[in-house]
Amino acid sequence: MKAEIIERSGGFAREVEIASGASVMRCYQCQKCSSGCPIAGASDLKPHELVRLIQLGAREEALSSRFIWECTSCETCATRCPQAVELPAAVDALRRLARAAGKLTPDTTVPTFNDIFLGAVRRMGRVHELSLLAAFKLHTRSFGQDLGKFPVMLWKRKIRLLPAFVRGRAARERIFQRTREPQRKT
Amino acid sequence: MSYVFYPGCSLESTARDYRDSALAVSRALGIELRVLPNWICCGSTAAHQSDPRLALALPAKNLAAAGAPTAAGAPVAAAASTAVGVPTLVVCCAACYNRLKTANYRIAGDPAIRGQVAEVIGADYDGSTPVKHLLEVLSEKAVLSEIAARLVRPLRGLRVASYYGCLLVRPPEVMQPDDPENPMLMDKLLASCGAEPLDWPHKVECCGASYSITKVDSVRRLSREILAQARDAGADCLATACPLCQSNLDLRQREIEAQFGERFRLPIFYFTQLLGLALGLSPAEVSLRSMIEDPRPCLERRGVLPCAAGCGGASR
Repeated sequence: MKAEIIERSGGFAREVEIASGASVMRCYQCQKCSSGCPIAGASDLKPHELVRLIQLGAREEALSSRFIWECTSCETCATRCPQAVELPAAVDALRRLARAAGKLTPDTTVPTFNDIFLGAVRRMGRVHELSLLAAFKLHTRSFGQDLGKFPVMLWKRKIRLLPAFVRGRAARERIFQRTREPQRKT
Repeated sequence: MSYVFYPGCSLESTARDYRDSALAVSRALGIELRVLPNWICCGSTAAHQSDPRLALALPAKNLAAAGAPTAAGAPVAAAASTAVGVPTLVVCCAACYNRLKTANYRIAGDPAIRGQVAEVIGADYDGSTPVKHLLEVLSEKAVLSEIAARLVRPLRGLRVASYYGCLLVRPPEVMQPDDPENPMLMDKLLASCGAEPLDWPHKVECCGASYSITKVDSVRRLSREILAQARDAGADCLATACPLCQSNLDLRQREIEAQFGERFRLPIFYFTQLLGLALGLSPAEVSLRSMIEDPRPCLERRGVLPCAAGCGGASR
């Protein structure tokens, strides 16, 4: 693991701590998180390595890692951490910081999926899986993926054809607008 | 017994069989589930990955509505009362359950967060609406004895691997499971139906859940591990309590077999489907036909369902 120490003051670590509420500086690298992590063996980082990068102020490496988009938020690391480091919350914060900094790993489609998902909640109140899937395929041009499952799912009555629209769109609009306001007022 | 029911988006579509079997089982046991009017999506993974306030506000909106008086002056669920008259919200989807409980935990635990959420949803919600998973409701003492009394088709000899996944049990300080590493709630419920729950290692491992669309390779790798561990433990089938787990393990099972050169052929039940069968509900009432991996061979082999023509075995 190569990490250039950019800041000695722990400025980035503090930024992550404030954005997430996770106390990343408590980590003493026991690696218990990485032992249980379902993606540690397949991703570009292991959880304890990501925490170390944050501690060292290696903003660039942390924000551009594949790990933050491959973490499944399964919470196994946080459940077992002897220092109670809420790593999944820190990863959520890194996802937001990465998007804000325009540092998305090129092949991740997760943010696109999330935007389409939340857009549907905003408009209709609920997610309609069929339109969600169609919109996602349009955006990512992944038309082929899972197309063969459609007839089976239709036959098994696992697809609802028409979306539901829940009343209260104005109230939802207000919720989404208010959460888009700047986070910190202090 | 009556509760307010929060179905969630998946139970309207891919997990319609989960909803139908849950409602059928509840009806058979005399438990009333009344759908929360105008419920909205909990925000799921998309919200907590995008905005922490939105991730609390969407569940809070539903939780506040469940406890609020209706226009008529009566709470949404007048009859849906615990001893103190606060309606309990019952959830089937593990993801919704997790988001709703997390919202309660954060809002009740921090006045600053409560204030932020109030600002966003335009109402002060204190985090007090009780939330229960259907698994918890059905595991209550009174319900268990009701099940014992109504057991007409015991699942005798059916070897079930209970699969809990992530969201039902973690983080434990929020979800309060009986045991975050080795939960037994589903095992005990299925044992009370006569089934044989298995001791197996992947009860709370992750299936890849929400990346079913965005990172399929990851989902296949993780789900394969779960299926392999269940098969190696001698399971006839798996039982789940989460629409995402069920869909990853069932809908993707054949492509996982093809990719890794394995053979599983494991039916992936919702625990409500197995419970329903034990209570004597018909296969149609618990939506068995919606399962991709055919559950009939294993149910017939264990004598839970009568053998189809030509199998020659004893039928019940």
